[in-house]
Amino acid sequence: MIQVVVTQMLNGAIVGALYGIVALGVTLTFCITGVVNFALGAFMVLGAYFTWWCHEVAGIPYIPSVFLAVLAVSVLGYLADAGLFRFTRNHLVNGLLVSIGLISIVEASVLLIWTATPKNLSYVLPGVIRVAGISVSQIKLVISAALVAVVAATYVGLTRTWFGRSAFAYAQNPEAAMLMGVNTARLETMVFVYSTSLAALGGGLYASLYSIEPSLGGFYILKGVEAAILAGVGEVLGSLAGGVILGISENVGSIYLPSALRDAYGLVFLILILLLKPAGLFGGKK
Amino acid sequence: MKTAIFAVALAAAAPAVTHSDSILTICIYAFLMGALAVSFNFIFGLTGQLSLFHAAAFGLSAYVSVLLVTRLHWGFWISLILAVLAAVIVAAAVATLCFRFKLREFYFAIVTMALSEILRLWIQNWYELTNGTLGISFVQKPEIWTPYGYITVSSSTSWYFVSLTILVAVSALCWRLQQSWVGRAFSAIRLNEQLAETMGIDVFAYKFLNFVLGSALAGLVGVFYAFYTGFVEPDYLSVTQSLDIVAMVLLGGVNSVAGPILGAFILTALPHVIDMGAEVRVILYGVVLIVVILALPKGLRSLVGRERHAT
Amino acid sequence: MLLEVRGITKKFGGLTAVSKVSFGVEAGEIVGIFGPNGSGKTTLLNLIMGMAEPTGGDILWKGVSIVGHRPFEIAQHGIAKTFQNPQLFPELSVLDHMKIATHLRLKRKLGAKRILTLSGMRDVVGEFLAAIADVLRLCRLDQYTDRPVSSLSYGAEKMVGVAMALTCDPELLLLDEPTSGLSQEETVNLEDVLRGLGTHGVTMCVIDHRVRFLSRLAPKAIALHHGSLIASGETGAVLRDEGVRSAYLGIHHA
Repeated sequence: MIQVVVTQMLNGAIVGALYGIVALGVTLTFCITGVVNFALGAFMVLGAYFTWWCHEVAGIPYIPSVFLAVLAVSVLGYLADAGLFRFTRNHLVNGLLVSIGLISIVEASVLLIWTATPKNLSYVLPGVIRVAGISVSQIKLVISAALVAVVAATYVGLTRTWFGRSAFAYAQNPEAAMLMGVNTARLETMVFVYSTSLAALGGGLYASLYSIEPSLGGFYILKGVEAAILAGVGEVLGSLAGGVILGISENVGSIYLPSALRDAYGLVFLILILLLKPAGLFGGKK
Repeated sequence: MKTAIFAVALAAAAPAVTHSDSILTICIYAFLMGALAVSFNFIFGLTGQLSLFHAAAFGLSAYVSVLLVTRLHWGFWISLILAVLAAVIVAAAVATLCFRFKLREFYFAIVTMALSEILRLWIQNWYELTNGTLGISFVQKPEIWTPYGYITVSSSTSWYFVSLTILVAVSALCWRLQQSWVGRAFSAIRLNEQLAETMGIDVFAYKFLNFVLGSALAGLVGVFYAFYTGFVEPDYLSVTQSLDIVAMVLLGGVNSVAGPILGAFILTALPHVIDMGAEVRVILYGVVLIVVILALPKGLRSLVGRERHAT
Repeated sequence: MLLEVRGITKKFGGLTAVSKVSFGVEAGEIVGIFGPNGSGKTTLLNLIMGMAEPTGGDILWKGVSIVGHRPFEIAQHGIAKTFQNPQLFPELSVLDHMKIATHLRLKRKLGAKRILTLSGMRDVVGEFLAAIADVLRLCRLDQYTDRPVSSLSYGAEKMVGVAMALTCDPELLLLDEPTSGLSQEETVNLEDVLRGLGTHGVTMCVIDHRVRFLSRLAPKAIALHHGSLIASGETGAVLRDEGVRSAYLGIHHA
């Protein structure tokens, strides 16, 4: 029994790390542009499919495939920002609607091009590690480590570099930042594009673990938003923690409660947090 | 007003002129979606709350009525009343939750979306009762009493008139409320909630009333929609369905009752007129939504006619 | 006593905006509220209007406590308030604003039965159009009746706020800096309007920085400094008070 719980916890943590990377993108975009960008789900799904295409169809090795996918999606992210989201900076509701519209379009397009049949990557890193009678696949460990590294790097980037600090300052007080010479338009665009790369990375890494299908994006962005709100929008390290908490509670919960309800947990958390502690579990300092 | 009466008369006369089943079918869908869009705009256009719960009310009532008719073999009309009542109760709970906690536009949208999803998942997973994602297919149709005896509403012509009546009834109700002191209170809330409150308007009560009434109307339409198509599935409650409604309303324009109807007509008729796959239709709706938000914030209606203020 | 404020205190976290302020207003009185910026004047009016909840103390309206009542309930009791920065309904015309302001009148006139007015086609606001016209004329806004409020000058916008408050037929009118941002001419205009109201028996509490304007208008006054009441009584005496003078030192507006 313990084994089952621990295995589920580990799986939950890994899935949670994926939630976390999307949550990080959500949180960054929200703090800087004010939009909860549902379109990040679209960029995630594109990241997954581009990685699949590079690896399976073009025969490129895994890591370069991910890299190329992230690059391609970042360009698309830049175009989306320049063409669409630039105009919704001050209208949260409009931005929300546009982003949901975008994810619908992308999902339907992916469905059209590649059909609903799930796609798989041939084994990237087979093999398991056994610890105390519990086996964890190596690829899952590597991916998790990569995700944690990226989140940590983002955190360091935000707190140590000049760019990061101006982003922070801007999130707190846009006018002051502007007066201090921060190029706010460029900042917003860069944060937006960075978020799309994060989502694409999440998608590319996801592809090595599970099979991918077009509805992936919608599913994960919802989880990402839930994790971001759970942690407290604006908490960079917290978003990883929020994702992991969400992932673990879903997986452990489904041992005891009908697994069909698994997706409801996140939604219930979301509602409770927004109603009772809008700053999130880790938020509320400042 | 006069244009409205003219349009209705024209519409009522149409079946005499055309016997094309496909045109009648398009109109039936357009009328029902039009009524749904008008009921959504009653909430969104007046009090300014972006409710992503609308499809949930639509679908919930559909399910309740279908289940009562097919499982318990109750009559259509009693099932309709109970189904709308169900929507009212759930909407009341949602409104109490959201408005007591003073959720602002954006968070309100997210919470209504989450609640809508929870409801959909619950219905989808109650497999024994609802058949899950497969949905329920059924053959029962409503029966209407006329001086000539009971008529079963099954032909395209009879559905045409029923759906037209619903559209006219829902639109008339919403229009009458909009241009009355009630509508003014709603608009005041949308434009400056704090000021409205100091003018003696009980903001919570009016938001609550507005949301529950709008959702009840959505439920009403949902029942007829289900009985027209003979089918109900969990996707009736999906966020995508809510977004379709948003697209229709934004396309047509939020400042009038006619706007949402116009938007509904265009978006409902288009996929029938141009043969496109389900995915292309989704892409179309998404593109329309985005284009309208960015380029035509006041919708098409502002191009066509005089813009009326919301009081 | 119409309005009685007893030891009202308001703290925002560590900051005390209003500290144990007590004063009373009799029916028909005009009370001026003086004090430098940040002395808690606006917060005091917000507390009376129910827009903020006091940390301590009580507010009595006709002998009954109204603390904890929502702003719309306070409006129903007969208190109306204007805002320092004009609060308006964007896109709407002046007349539309006035129509919305008749909400309370309708409620008082018909009560629950006002729902029945929906059964016909008639817009019940027709019964109040004459009263609206009177208020607009009184506030010198009749020329702007159908204009969108966004096209008005700042002074006219503030008058719309006053007009809306008057349309509610209040027993007590709370005015927060009505002359700020107004030209000399608009100030004279406003003074006339308010004086007229005074002679009609409307009770008022008025905050303003224009000392001469307020001392001409209000025979009684209170003075606040750092949230506390430092003087109250006849306006002339309050303005001569040593504490009030030193609080105002260097911030004297004519």
